[in-house]
Amino acid sequence: MTDRNNTPIAEKGVVEQVRKISGSVWDMTIHSPAIAGASRAGQFVHVRVSDGFNPFLRRPLSVGPCRGDYLRLIFVVKGVGTRLLAGKHPGDIIDMIGPLGNPFPAPETDQYPILVAGGIGMVPLLLMDNQFVNSIDHDFLLGMRSSAHQTVDDVEIKRLKIVIASDDGSIGYHGTVIDLLENRLTELKRRKIVVYGCGPVPMLQSLKEVCVSRSIPAYISLEVSMGCGVGACQSCAVPRADGDGYYLVCRDGPAFRASAVDLNAGGRS
Amino acid sequence: MRVDTSIRMGRLDLQTPLLTGSGTFGYGDEFRSLVDYSRFGGVVTKSISLEPRPGNPPPRICETSAGGIINSIGLANLGVDGFIAGKAGVLPVDETKLFVSVVGDSVEEFVAVVERLEGVAGISGYELNVSCPNVRRGGLDLGGDRDAVAAVVSEVRSVTGRFMSVKLTPHYAVIGPVAEAAVRAGADAFTLTNTLSGMVVDAESRKPLLGNVTGGYSGPPLKPVALAKVWQAAQVVDVPIWASGGIINGIDGIEFMLAGASGLQLGSVLFADYDAPVRILEEMIEYCVRHGVDRLSDLIGRLEV
Ligand SMILES: Cc1cc2nc3c(=O)[nH]c(=O)nc-3n(C[C@H](O)[C@H](O)[C@H](O)COP(=O)(O)OP(=O)(O)OC[C@H]3O[C@@H](n4cnc5c(N)ncnc54)[C@H](O)[C@@H]3O)c2cc1C
Ligand SMILES: Cc1cc2nc3c(=O)[nH]c(=O)nc-3n(C[C@H](O)[C@H](O)[C@H](O)COP(=O)(O)O)c2cc1C
Ligand code: FES
Repeated sequence: MTDRNNTPIAEKGVVEQVRKISGSVWDMTIHSPAIAGASRAGQFVHVRVSDGFNPFLRRPLSVGPCRGDYLRLIFVVKGVGTRLLAGKHPGDIIDMIGPLGNPFPAPETDQYPILVAGGIGMVPLLLMDNQFVNSIDHDFLLGMRSSAHQTVDDVEIKRLKIVIASDDGSIGYHGTVIDLLENRLTELKRRKIVVYGCGPVPMLQSLKEVCVSRSIPAYISLEVSMGCGVGACQSCAVPRADGDGYYLVCRDGPAFRASAVDLNAGGRS
Repeated sequence: MRVDTSIRMGRLDLQTPLLTGSGTFGYGDEFRSLVDYSRFGGVVTKSISLEPRPGNPPPRICETSAGGIINSIGLANLGVDGFIAGKAGVLPVDETKLFVSVVGDSVEEFVAVVERLEGVAGISGYELNVSCPNVRRGGLDLGGDRDAVAAVVSEVRSVTGRFMSVKLTPHYAVIGPVAEAAVRAGADAFTLTNTLSGMVVDAESRKPLLGNVTGGYSGPPLKPVALAKVWQAAQVVDVPIWASGGIINGIDGIEFMLAGASGLQLGSVLFADYDAPVRILEEMIEYCVRHGVDRLSDLIGRLEV
């Protein structure tokens, strides 16, 4: 939350590829050299999904894995904005500002990173894996409702050695990703751990409890409704854990030290 | 054909009529890497109070099915001392005209904030926000009371010689009497209007979508309401009017000028298009060329009724 030196870039990216991963999950590759080159894990882009004003607001989306001049957005179709985005074709222009917000801090050299994702929350962690931790020993845990809600395809799961839990047991471990985390923390008792999490608020609440009770440093990325995306409108408040007002998710986050924010109010699942 | 876009606003000259509206463009420095402030007519800051205000519980913004957006920021701001310490050095005062929006729960608070800002160089003027629908404290709906508005204006006038616009709510049936009272008390201009009070309900969860339950409604649906207020005010007062409400393109801007506005504030539109002051000016110039108008200011109040 101290790293404020990023400068928003306006860029009109060009869609390279759009593909469906599962049911309502889409994966878009965009040629966007300036933003792709400057992005760090946890940061987001604010995307104008239509040329006009319907919908009226931009949509915030995490920067997924970047390769050279290309960045990937992976998103669930929830409403009008993401539906329009899923309807884009190769060659279409995407108006974005980014990279916005504060990234996850890199792990310290003696720390063993555990990435904990819930559903579509794996997007910033895929970039994390790709930028910071793929050269070091680490765990990548992913929870999902069922195999029908897969947010990442089998090739990537294998390549990144992602360990999966599903609520109905239809894929991977039958249980929650927090169960997986607790198991790993027990197995890795003697290591210095750092946890990075992104997912629905109830999952992040459990993650925070588990880590705080064991004095394990944890960083989480939050989603809230946004207006400007650049710290100007005060729309994206999240309560501070110390009770002293609010942080702005677009400026002070989206990545926060878990102990710094109060997750009992305000977040969006 | 060259179109003269400059606007005389009483004692002030703006190079274009397009400004950013309070609360939608921060304190003026947040967009530095994205826009060229020297192409804007001016910037109005977030409303500033005497003490810092944390603002309302989230969520604070959402779209509505009727179009437009609702916000309940609750005037979260740094407070005047925080503003001076943190922002006075980075404001775009060399590139454009900077107006500081001031808010208070009492006449004394407005005066105290302006007194402190008098020491900050480069500020072109103030906008007194007597109309925010998002704050419950004190129960003082200043904007709804003609005498209270006049008292704020005359007390602030006694501590500053700077340009001063008064921003009113759209909640009046008739805007004339309060506008006349404010001019008598020393207002140089009006900003019409602030947001309309509104709310959004989620039927599935049976919950309001804003943490504060109600908020301020803005964007295109506000335009007809603001147009009527601008036109009504222009019939009774002779000071410049800044229009604010639902402007998203050049034709919207022309409509407001015809109704009597000399300045145009852009608010919600900036969230999608932060460079709208430049785009909209170009669209207005296009209109002027099409209609053989060589000075934008010639359109002010030219509505044929
Ligand atoms: C920093 C950040 C990163 C995100 N990264 C991703 C990602 O990588 N992949 C992904 O699928 N989603 C991500 N989201 C959530 C995504 O922004 C919303 O799902 C999306 O805005 C929904 O838009 P819509 O028009 O489809 O839905 P609608 O329900 O029609 O949206 C209505 C309004 O609510 C807002 N909204 C709805 N859901 C959310 C939400 N969960 N968070 C914030 N605003 C919301 C929308 O932006 C819009 O203003 C992220 C959100 C934030 C804040
Ligand atoms: C997120 C947000 C915050 C705002 N904050 C303020 C404020 O602090 N002071 C103020 O006078 N108006 C504030 N406004 C009102 C705008 O300046 C403007 O008057 C209003 O939104 C109508 O214009 P628009 O339809 O172009 O947005 C705010 C509006 C929005 C959307
Ligand atoms: S979205 Fe405007 S301040 Fe964060």
